[in-house]
This record gives sequence, C-alpha cells and structure tokens, in this order.
Amino acid sequence: MMGPTIDLQQVALTLGQTRILYDIDLHVPAGSIHALIGPNGAGKSSLIKTLMGQMPHRGSLTLTWPDKPGVIGYVPQALEFDRTLPMTVDDFMGVMTQRRPAFFGLSSRNTGAIDDALVRVGMQDKRKRRMGALSGGERQRIMLAQALIPAPALLVLDEPMAALDEAGVAVFEDLLAYWREQKVTVLWVEHDLDAVRRLADRVTGLNHRVIFDGPPAEMLSAGQLLTLFSAHPRQREASGETSGAATLSRAAA
Amino acid sequence: MIFDSIRVLLQGWAEQELLPQMFTYGFVVNAFMAGLIIGPLLGGLGTLVVVKRFAFFSEAVGHAAMTGVAIGILVGEPYTGPYGSLFGFCLLFGVLLNYLRNRTGLASDTLIGVFLSISLALGGSLLLLLSGRINIHILENVLFGSVLTVNAQDLMVLSVIGLLTAGLALFHYNHLILSSFNAQLAAVRKVRTILMDYLFVMLVTLVTVAAVKVIGAILVGALLVIPAATARILAHSMRGFFWLSILIAIVSTLAGILLPIQFALPVPSGAAIILVAGSVFILSALARGFGPALKGTTA
Repeated sequence: MMGPTIDLQQVALTLGQTRILYDIDLHVPAGSIHALIGPNGAGKSSLIKTLMGQMPHRGSLTLTWPDKPGVIGYVPQALEFDRTLPMTVDDFMGVMTQRRPAFFGLSSRNTGAIDDALVRVGMQDKRKRRMGALSGGERQRIMLAQALIPAPALLVLDEPMAALDEAGVAVFEDLLAYWREQKVTVLWVEHDLDAVRRLADRVTGLNHRVIFDGPPAEMLSAGQLLTLFSAHPRQREASGETSGAATLSRAAA
Repeated sequence: MIFDSIRVLLQGWAEQELLPQMFTYGFVVNAFMAGLIIGPLLGGLGTLVVVKRFAFFSEAVGHAAMTGVAIGILVGEPYTGPYGSLFGFCLLFGVLLNYLRNRTGLASDTLIGVFLSISLALGGSLLLLLSGRINIHILENVLFGSVLTVNAQDLMVLSVIGLLTAGLALFHYNHLILSSFNAQLAAVRKVRTILMDYLFVMLVTLVTVAAVKVIGAILVGALLVIPAATARILAHSMRGFFWLSILIAIVSTLAGILLPIQFALPVPSGAAIILVAGSVFILSALARGFGPALKGTTA
C-alpha cells in the first residue's frame, strides 16, 4: 500500500514557557524517503511526537492517504525497559504484535510474519536470546523488525542507525530500499549526514524552524550545514529575531 | 452456595482420611479455597508489577488498605469485611496518585512516599480513635491476615474479583507491558498509555482488597512482588517468568495457610505466607549466585 503525503503548515509547539517549534512548513511526498536533520535539542523528536498526535500544537498537520488510512510504523531511539527482564526476542515481538499474552507464546497467525521480519534483519538465530542480553545494534535491529509488522504505509524512524554496526547498517539500507520499492512514506530523523546524502530523497534541516529543505545533494553543502548547526543561525539574525529567541537557540544547541 | 458444597465435600474426604485431618475444620477448607484463588491472581498480576516497576506502588496500595479498613469500621461497616471503604479508599489512593504523577511530573517514588506517609498517618490516627470502640486486637486480623475469618461471602467476593481481574489483565497483558516501554511506540500501535496506567491501578487495588482477609493489609503488597521477583531471577523467558511466579505464589499461599495450622504455630497467615515466599526468594537468589546455569545467556 502506498504511503500518505504529509503536510505541515505553520505548525508551532510551545511547552510551558519554552517555544520548541516555530511555524514549520513541511511537505513530504507520498512514497518518499524524507530525512530530518539538525543539532541536539532542535525539536526533531518533538516534531515526530507532534506528527503522532502526542503534542498540543498550533497550525495544520495533514496526512493525505491515497486510499483508506494505512498502518503507521515507528522505530524509537530507545526502549525504557529493565535489561534483566526474562523477555526473549520472540516474547518482545509477541508483545508488540499480538493480543494473545506473550507468556502463551506467539500466535500462529503472526508466526510467519515474525519469522520473515527477523530473517530480514538477520536476527532469526537470536530469537531465544533475552532482549537485555543483545548488543545495542542487535536491539536496534529488533526495533526495525517490529516496525515491519503489520506492513506499514508510513514509517517514522528516530535515529535508527545510532547503535548499528557495519552489518546492521547494511540491513538498514536494504530495508530502506525495500520501503522505497513498496512506496512507503518514510520520515527519518538521522545524524549520519553521509547516509542521508546517499539514501534520502529529500532532507529538511531543522533548528526550531526549517532552515533548509530540498534534495540532499543540493542542501548538504558546507554553508547550509554551518548555518544549521550554528548556535546563531544566520537566517534568524538576518530576519531580526528577538534576543529571547536567540537565547533559546543557544540553549538548545 | 457452591463454596459451601465444596467445603462439605472436602470435609467429607478428610473424615474418610482421604485428606489431612485439618481439613475436617470448615475454616481450614475456606482458607484453602481462598488461597487457591489468591495465589494465581497475585502471582500473575505480580509479573506486570515487576515489568512496569510498580512494586513500591503495590506496597503503598496495600498499606492504604489499613486506612481503608479503619475508615470502614468508623463509618459502621462490619469489622470482618469493610469492603466498601476498603475498596473506595484504595481506589481513591491509587487513582489520585496516578493522576498527580501525570500532572506534576514528579518521580513516582517521591509521590508514592508522600501518599504513603499521609495514608499511614491518617490510618494510625483513625485506629487510635477506634481503640475506644472495639477490641483493637481484632484489627490485627485485618492487618496481618487471619484464616479464621474467611467465610463464604469472602470467597464469593474473591471469586468475582478474581474472574474480573484475570479477564482484564489477560486481555490487556501485552498492552500493559508495551505502554511502559515507549509512549510513542504504544501510541502508533493504538495502545492508550494513560488508560492502561489507570486500568493497572484499578487491577492492583482490586486484588489488594480481595487478598486483605487472608494476607492482611500490611503484607498484601509483598505477595504481588516477591513471587514475581523470584521468578524473574530464575526464568529465561516470559513463559517461565509468568508460570513460575504463579507457582511460587500458590505454594507460598497454601504453605503459609496450612503450615501454622498443621504445626500449631501462633503465626498470622499473612506473615507465614510472606515468610515462605521470602524464603523461596532468598534460596533462588543464592542459587542464582552460585549456579552459573541460572544466570542466563549474556552473549
């Protein structure tokens, strides 16, 4: 199933007294791989939470589905779970994908899909391992595997490459190619600029507001990146931003 | 009633020496049936308590039961079963605590510490007020559990709560776990995290109320934690974790009820149950320390 088009118009987010996002305009075409980059604290994760309806925002946020609304998948940066829990990879996949309690084992309806997903991320031999005993990269592969069930039409990835080793990166690149082929819309928060340049269709530079947006080959120039990762983005100073906003930018950086 | 029929049947078997002699006493059979309901309930729900890191919360709700009992007696409920106030106060305690946790952003243990102190202070004050009205020693049964006071009405309450709790917990088991892992992940999988938290608070409250008679208000929280903590030490999968927790809870409950009767020990049932469960925990922890096979695969 083809993914949706994402349109954000003048989306703003304020938490308490802190302005997190300023008038974000963003267009993600259906079936494209769209990367979101920016310094720590630039509001990337907040934008993702806003997209998922987890934040009280202003402005308009529209998902336009080609047919009926499809499945949204999500790969988080990290899980908050006790590493000593006796929860195997199979148990975890069961918790994620089925109603039947995990201690009863995998439901027969899901077994095939879970087998396929674990094979795709190269973790089929480690399904009886405890989640806490896996390396960070292996756990990240399991996060990718859970996002395959049920097959998503829109996928939100929050720094999926952060813990991946070389083999894991290859698995991730294969998955991106697969999602591209399936016309899944992918919104991808990433720090690895080289990966973004190679793999994304478009890239948006975010530092509380959209600093740039376009094809990676054009956008990821030294000048643009300097502006994006600068504590005092030139565009903001040029537009006569108040000193309060500049302070916020410094604090976020 | 069905429990009366079962009691008469078991008493008959004991008289024919098919069961130990102590089962000729009606109260022993009642307590035995109560243990068979409470054990699996606390053991199963305890796995969620451990996964969601709600152990301190469960202890606090158990302690709130003491205040609930005091309020119940004060407003005229029977001291052998003040279920209305018990349930009402524990539920208010749990729901308010969860509400403030969501609204204030305070760490759970800080908030629980505050609530627990207030609840104990209130309970202690009310108990002192009550000491002029009733024999305060009667309250010992409520605080530490007594097999002597379990009657058919208690068994019926236990059964209804047991079925309701087990049904809700099993139906939402995976979602209750997922909601504690990652809020966004839960949201995209259409799990309502806040609703799951309130549901869980309600489940813990229900089983606490149900188990107060046998285990006592002071100790009921412990049986939600100890069997599951023991199972976590020994198990390598969710399957082992869940079933071991239930097994340990059943064995502890039945042993804690029957051993003091068999050996005429002057120990309250709740204390005996927790002592058995605690011994199993210590043995398991030692076994884990000395037995590499129990440490689990780390590579």
